Formats: sequence, structure tokens, C-alpha cells
Amino acid sequence: MPLLNEFPMPVFQIDGEPVEYEPGEKVLSAALRCGKIIPHYCYHPGMSVVATCRMCLVDVVDLGNGRPAPKLQTACSVDASEGMKIETFNQKVEEGRKLVNEFFLINHPLDCPICDQSGECTLQDYSFKYGSGKSEMDYSKRVNGWRDIGTFVALERNRCIQCSRCDRFTREITGTNEFGMFNRGHELAVDTYTDRPMTNKFQGNMADICPVGAITEKEFRFKRRVWKLKKNHSICTGCSTGCNVTIEHDRNEVFRLKPHENQSVNKWWLCDEGRLTYRKMNEKKSRINQPLGLIGENLEGISWEKAYGAIAERIRELKPLPHEVLALTDTHASNEELFLIQKLLKEGFSSENIFCPFPTWEQSESDFFINTLITTDKTPNRAGALALQIKGDQKNKKLKKAIEGELKVVFILGNPFENELEFKEIIKRTQLVIHIGVFHNSWSEMADVVLPGQFYSEKEGTYTNKNQRVQSTEIAVKALRRTRPEWQIISELLQALGHKSSFESIPQVFNTMVQEAKAFTGISFDKIGGFGIELTKNTKDPGKKVVPEMTAI
Amino acid sequence: MLEETLVLFKNIRNPKYDKSLAGYKNTGGFKSLKKVFGMKPEEVVQEVKESGVRGRGGAGFPTGLKWSFMAKGTGKPSYLVANADESEPGTCKDRELMLKDPHLFLEGLMIGSYAVGCHHAYVYVRGEFFPAIKILNAAVDELYADGLLGHDPLGSGFNLDITIHTGAGAYICGEETALLDSLEGKRGQPRVKPPFPAVSGFNGCPTSVNNVETLACLPFIFSDGGVESFKSFGPQNNSGTHLVSLSGHVNSPGVYELRMDVSMKDIIYEIGGGIRNGKKLKGVIPGGSSSPVMKADEIDVLYNFDDLAKIGTMMGSSAMMVFDEDTDVVKLLHRITRFYAHESCGQCTPCREGTHWSRQIVRDFLNGNGSEEKLKRLDRVGGNMLGTTLCALGDAAAMPIQSFVNKFPEEFRKYYATT
Ligand SMILES: Cc1cc2nc3c(=O)[nH]c(=O)nc-3n(C[C@H](O)[C@H](O)[C@H](O)COP(=O)(O)O)c2cc1C
Ligand code: SF4
Ligand code: SF4
Ligand code: SF4
Ligand code: FES
Repeated sequence: MPLLNEFPMPVFQIDGEPVEYEPGEKVLSAALRCGKIIPHYCYHPGMSVVATCRMCLVDVVDLGNGRPAPKLQTACSVDASEGMKIETFNQKVEEGRKLVNEFFLINHPLDCPICDQSGECTLQDYSFKYGSGKSEMDYSKRVNGWRDIGTFVALERNRCIQCSRCDRFTREITGTNEFGMFNRGHELAVDTYTDRPMTNKFQGNMADICPVGAITEKEFRFKRRVWKLKKNHSICTGCSTGCNVTIEHDRNEVFRLKPHENQSVNKWWLCDEGRLTYRKMNEKKSRINQPLGLIGENLEGISWEKAYGAIAERIRELKPLPHEVLALTDTHASNEELFLIQKLLKEGFSSENIFCPFPTWEQSESDFFINTLITTDKTPNRAGALALQIKGDQKNKKLKKAIEGELKVVFILGNPFENELEFKEIIKRTQLVIHIGVFHNSWSEMADVVLPGQFYSEKEGTYTNKNQRVQSTEIAVKALRRTRPEWQIISELLQALGHKSSFESIPQVFNTMVQEAKAFTGISFDKIGGFGIELTKNTKDPGKKVVPEMTAI
Repeated sequence: MLEETLVLFKNIRNPKYDKSLAGYKNTGGFKSLKKVFGMKPEEVVQEVKESGVRGRGGAGFPTGLKWSFMAKGTGKPSYLVANADESEPGTCKDRELMLKDPHLFLEGLMIGSYAVGCHHAYVYVRGEFFPAIKILNAAVDELYADGLLGHDPLGSGFNLDITIHTGAGAYICGEETALLDSLEGKRGQPRVKPPFPAVSGFNGCPTSVNNVETLACLPFIFSDGGVESFKSFGPQNNSGTHLVSLSGHVNSPGVYELRMDVSMKDIIYEIGGGIRNGKKLKGVIPGGSSSPVMKADEIDVLYNFDDLAKIGTMMGSSAMMVFDEDTDVVKLLHRITRFYAHESCGQCTPCREGTHWSRQIVRDFLNGNGSEEKLKRLDRVGGNMLGTTLCALGDAAAMPIQSFVNKFPEEFRKYYATT
């Protein structure tokens, strides 16, 4: 990139290696960016620097003027400067860390075996490294006790190391100022103001940023030791923002969602509602767990072959004209699923009768970035549907015409138009209703054939968020044995109807979609990467309306 | 016989002095301000540099130099804040100035404001100083009534407001950045530096925080021939007189104005009238409770910034606490550690944990649970706080601990040798 060569970034040295920095950047930030490990607690890249934990000590052996700093410096507060030389490990540094670490531990319960943070606790990690293994503290330890601070998180103050990250979070990130530091000196303790539980919608983040087991998620605590959890990168499907998450699971059970840093989407954060969507991943009762067919009055379990065979046969009998076919989909479906069902209609029936609900949705306008994460569109892929030109609110003329006309075959993907009872009444009377979905609902009840799909944690797919960013998900947990991912089901339906096109993988569907759907021009599956990629062609979503944020009082 | 040199206390030592505005003007008050209004601000700063005056708040930083660091051309207002939080144990000199000659200090504040281009100066007074708060407010009212504050005083074209702000009573709010947080209405906690207040201070604007006594020196410095005589009051680099708060076991404790070229011994025996009840001297805490303690045989030293620094201690806020042979040094240190444990703001780890732990260890000695190992540990804990904290309170807590342990180890041993 010639631009960079023309204006090279200034350089300083960490442990003898040259590191580029932006003017004004702190040593710690530059070091972390290039993968150096410097122990730290109070520093968080998203919040102001307070330099109070004193753990991030480094040795500035050359300030850039040939002279060393007189004593160890805290890397989080020292500006990187041209020619500066830093050592992150030498005897002096190790000793400095050791003595700071001792101060952390003298009043710390150190009951890691019964602490839920154990395994992902930086205090534990650094104590292993720098602790002496034996305490010289002869007095009883400080006791600050439990506090009830909110619906989503628990606070055990004895484990608090007073790093003030939580305090800065409600001041700088949510702006709700519900949380603070009280008293001083040895008695300094965190708490909520006037003893009221917190009301902000992002409390889970406080558990994430708390370096120790002081703040933990009520939903997760004591359910599973963290080192047992396996992790997969995915996105949150709780709303149209598509925050990046890690799905953490063990033995095919999901235990929690954690934010995955993506500066273009959610930065470091995730809302509490989104975190709770993990429950749905473990939902078993209402799952459709095998293909069903209407035999007599009742839906009964049948094999996949039988289901496809029966569908193909009925369609041959019915010989539907293009306007006699209809597909309704919700926008939980991935880009690939939407693309394929559109293709099914087009290639199988020469029909364009495909619609999804199109509610108006809102996003907060706020001085605090985090508030803009939550939108009122509780589905992850409406922008994807728009990009594929699938639309239709309940008053849409084409949709009305299609529904009120002669219908012979109806495909339902997921749970669209949930509350449109009128639609349901009409469709119920249709000759052939095929429902493809994960959960039982009123559509599956009226269907002639029900094909069991998979939840997004069980399959691959891509989703387009409210800002036209296409992001992908990984398989986190194994799906029920007799279910199939929807994209595969639709592709198999196409084949059952005698079409040749066969799709074997998500990248293949995606890249076909790129060729056929204009909005996706110019990208490819490989380009999505870990952080997603924005559609170059703007498919502006007219539903986007911004409302001012209500401040919690 | 050593005597006071009266510059700051010139009026105060006059029993007939009327501290009202009229009285202050009668003694030549506000002449210096008038002279300063005729100079350019840069010239004023230069003169202050020339005088060599060093901050009387404890650190002894050259005042003129500090002002020259103030960020210019930022488009933001500049502020001057007088630090009247005086709470270093042993120190009671700013209080004298505020109570007995408020206009001297306020004139200094006005001169300083002009120098740094401040149009709204604040006086951050310690919350418990009720009489001082009352007197300062009355004095400021007088100045407004007289036209010396507000719009265009003395036809200078310069505008200045002064607000007296009362703190809520915390030692740490004397630390300049904690003071600024407190002044902004936040919890008073030291800030990380850089940025220094001269770049980003009160409300993020360039700010200078100066001690009351430092500012009170300015009217003299800008009197005729002031700079030269100011420099003549002490050795090089230690110019001016300073107010010494002499307390403890001397016959005549009090606040005395002294030159900086007199010895501690003379101060204790001539000004202080020697140790009370004819006892022998055991030691001196030379510059407020945070300074390393001195033994009786070390006091033959000039009482100023540099000479004390040379022997490994410091003059701090010029608060000399004298203790006699009967004093229990362990109890004394316990009192000091208790103070720092109580006053630590708690945000940074070595200070939060170390001040409390060291206090616990000293208490152990008093309870008869001392040991050689604990003595070593006490020294180590002190050392681990030294230079590792965010603000200087950590050092302030560490220095007495280490110096007491190293200078009076036998006193600690008494506590466990006998049991
Ligand atoms: C813990 C602590 C307490 C302090 N308390 C005071 C105080 O009470 N009064 C004061 O003038 N300076 C105090 N200082 C020094 C101030 O931070 C600052 O250096 C001083 O006000 C600057 O004024 P000067 O340059 O005129 O000395 C304190 C410093 C520390 C670290
Ligand atoms: S917070 Fe960390 S160090 Fe403390 S008990 Fe829990 S796991 Fe152990
Ligand atoms: S509760 Fe956690 S985040 Fe908050 S100050 Fe304590 S250790 Fe830090
Ligand atoms: S050294 Fe002590 S008083 Fe100063 S910031 Fe740290 S905890 Fe607070
Ligand atoms: S991370 Fe630097 S002091 Fe806490």
C-alpha cells in the first residue's frame, strides 16, 4: 500500500522488536495490538485510562533520548514515542509485578476452587505466574460481602480487585451512572447508587470486563466450569444488529453467549437480551425432530424420502400455475436459505410469489454507542431479504393478491406472519402446505408435510445485518439426528421436483447467490472472514427509523 | 538570637493590623497588583521565575516554571486554583494567612491569575476551616464592592472572578489532580498524569494549582526591589522566607516566618525555645508527616529544600514536628500509618493495600506481637509502596515507615524483646 509508505507510522521498540504506533497511543495499547502479553487489570481499550491497578509495569530502558526512565512505568499510561525502547520482561519488571501482585492477594479470598471465574480469571493467571505461593498476611482478610446489583449479574465484593472497570462502564459506556466506587482506602468498594439494582440493558458486559470473579452472570454461574466449554464464533440473532458472539457449549448444551470483538459491529459489547437467546439453542420440547406427514387426520412421523416423494407426487397432480404457488418466510432464515427458496419458486414454478414480514423497525439515537446496538427488529436477516428483493408487509398489494387468489401450494419457512390470522385461515384451506421449520407453531399444525430444520447454532449460514454487513456463523452444537439444515432441505426439494442444480455446501450456495443476486455482486464467501463484509451496493432499508434514547431515571 | 524575617507576616505581626480591605490598602496593599497590570503576562511569569520562588505546597516545584508550561492558544479558558486544603499533618500556615491577612493571599491570587490569563480563579478550601471560609468570602465580597474584582479592576481591562469553594474534608483532595476532580464535583481521586493540569486541568482546561503561601509571596515579589530581596532570604535555589509550622515538644510552638538559611537546630532551640520540661530531643519529622524522620544528631542542617534533600529527607510543607526522649516512636509511627490508611483514596493497589497492611503490622508491635520478621516485613511493605503508586500519597506513606524502621529499630525491638 503506497499510502502507508508515504506516511510511515512512527516506530518504537518493544523487547527489541519494532512496533508501529499511532501518535498519542499508549505503550500498552500498541503492545497488545501486536500480540505482546503485558499483565493488566484496569486498562480496557474501550474505556478511559486510570492507571490504578499498577500491574502493567514495564521497563522503559530508553525514553527516546538515550536515557532510561528512573523507575518502572505503567504501560497503560505511558505515551509511545519515537525511538523509545521498552522491555516487558526482565528481572526488574518481574520483581515489580511480583510485589504488586502480592498486594492484590493479601485481602483476596483465593478460593478459586469454588469461584466461578476460575479458569478465566486474570488474577488467577498472574498469581500463578508471579505469586509466591505463600502469604505473609497474618490478619483476617477484608470482608465486603455480597450485593444485589441487578437482574443479570451477581456481585461478590470480596473478590473485587477495585479495578474500576465496572464503574467506568456505567459512566462511559452506558451513561447510566448506576454503579460506582464507595468509601476509600482499604474500604473502597463497588456498589450501586442508593442501593437500587441496576436497570441498564447491558449488565452482562460488566461480568465480561470484570477481570475476576466479583461480577458474574447470574444466568451462567455455577453451571459449568469454564475450561470445559468449547467455543464457536457466531452472531447473535436476537436483533438485526448481528453482534458477534462466541457460543460456548459443552456436551451439546449451550451455556452462554459471550461478545466477540468486532469494531465494525458491536465493538466489545453484547446486550443482555441477546445473551439470553442461548436458551433457545437448548430448547428441546417444541422442536420438530423428524419429518411429518398428514396421514388421515394426524401428522405422523415419516422418512425424508417419503416426505420428498409425497410432495413431488402431489405437485405433479396439482400442476400449479405460477400464481397458485406461494412462499412465506421469516427473516430468521439465512441469506442462503432465502436465496434458495426464491430459486425454488422461480425454477420449480416460475413464480415470484415469495414474501417475508416487513415491520417498521427502530433503533435508538444516543450519545452512547452501546444503545444503538438494540433494534426493534428482532430478526437477524431482514436486510438479507431486502438485498434479495423479498419483501411484503401484511398490507402489501402483491401479497394480498397472491393470498386472495387461487392457491394450490404454499411453502412456509420458519414462522412468518405469526399474527396474521386471516392469512392463516386462507392458507389452511390450500391443497398442499409445506412447512420447513425448527419449532412447532401454528403453521406446522396446519401443514400437510413438515420438514424439520436446524437452529442457527447447529448449521452454517450468512446473515446481513442492518448496516448491510454480511456475517457468517459456524456450527457450534450437533443438531438433532433427523433434522437437516434448511438450505439443504430446499435444495433437495428442488431435486425432488426434477431440477438438476444441487448444492453441497454453504460457500457454494453463497457464491452462486453472488452471481445471481445483484446486491451481492463483488464479494465472495472467502471475503467474509471473521469480521464480515459490507455489501457494496447499497440496499438501503427504508424501515430504518431512529428514535431518541430514553434515559433511565 | 535568631529572629523572624517578616515578609508574609509583616501585617500579621502588627497587633494593630486591621485585616479589612481598607486596612490592607493602608499598608500598601494592591500596589503590586497595579504594577503587574502594567506588565505583560509573560513578563510577570518571567519575574516569578527570576525570583526563584518554589511551591510551598510540599513539592517545591518552581512556580514560574510551572506557569510557563500552561498550554497556550488552545481556545480554552485557563484557570488558577489556590490550594487551601492544607491537611498535611503538622502544617497550619495557610490557615494563618487566610485567617489573619486574607487580602495578601487574594492579591497574590489575582497577580497569578493575571500571569496565567485566568478569568475565574478558585480557592479550594478545606471543608473544616469554617472561620477561614467565612473570612475569605467576606474578603472577596469586599473586593467586588471595591471594584477590584469583576469587570476591569484598576482600569486594567482585565476581568477576574474569584470563587471560594469548600471541600468535603479529605487529605487526598490536597493533591492537585484530586482537588480538580473534587472541584468539578466528582469523587476526589488523583488523575493519571500526563496530561498534567497545565495542559488539561479543571474541566479539561489548562490549569495551575498553587498553594496559598506560594501565592501570598507574589505581592512582595512585585513590590519595588522585591525580586532581589526575595532572593536574598536564602541560599541559591531556595529563595524567600517561608512559614514554618513548629509543633510538638518545644516550649513555644507556633507558625514562624523564617529565612531559608537558618539551621533546624536554631529553629528548635532559639525560635522554639528548646524542648519542653528540659527533656532531651529524640527526633524531628521535618516537613509534615510524609517526610522521612530525622534523629536528634542530624539537625545541624540548614532548613531549606535542597539541604534537607541532600541528607535524604525533605522540607515538604515546612511543618516541623519535634519529639522528645520520652516519645514512643512506635506509637508515633502507628499514628502516622493510621492517618495514611484512613486517607488513601484506595484506587491504586499498592497504596490501598499497603497503607492498611503496614498499619496492621505496626499495631501488632503495640499489641506485643512484634517480631524481627515483622520488622523486616514492615520495611518491605513500605518499600513496595514507594514509587509504585499513582500519586505521591503512596510515597508519603512509605517514607515515614522506612525511615522509622531504619532509624529507630531498637524502639521496635523493645516491644518484643521484653515479652
Ligand atoms: C497526598 C497529597 C496531599 C497534598 N496536600 C496538599 C495540601 O494540603 N496543600 C497544598 O498546598 N498542597 C498539597 N499537595 C501538593 C499539591 O499536589 C500541589 O503540588 C501543590 O498544591 C502545588 O502548589 P505549589 O506549587 O504552590 O506548592 C499535596 C500533595 C499530595 C500528593
Ligand atoms: S477471582 Fe480469580 S483469583 Fe479470585 S478466587 Fe476467583 S478465580 Fe481465584
Ligand atoms: S467488580 Fe470487577 S470490574 Fe468492578 S472494580 Fe471490582 S474487580 Fe473491577
Ligand atoms: S497513591 Fe493512594 S491516594 Fe494516591 S491515587 Fe493511589 S490510592 Fe489514591
Ligand atoms: S493496566 Fe496499567 S495500571 Fe492498570
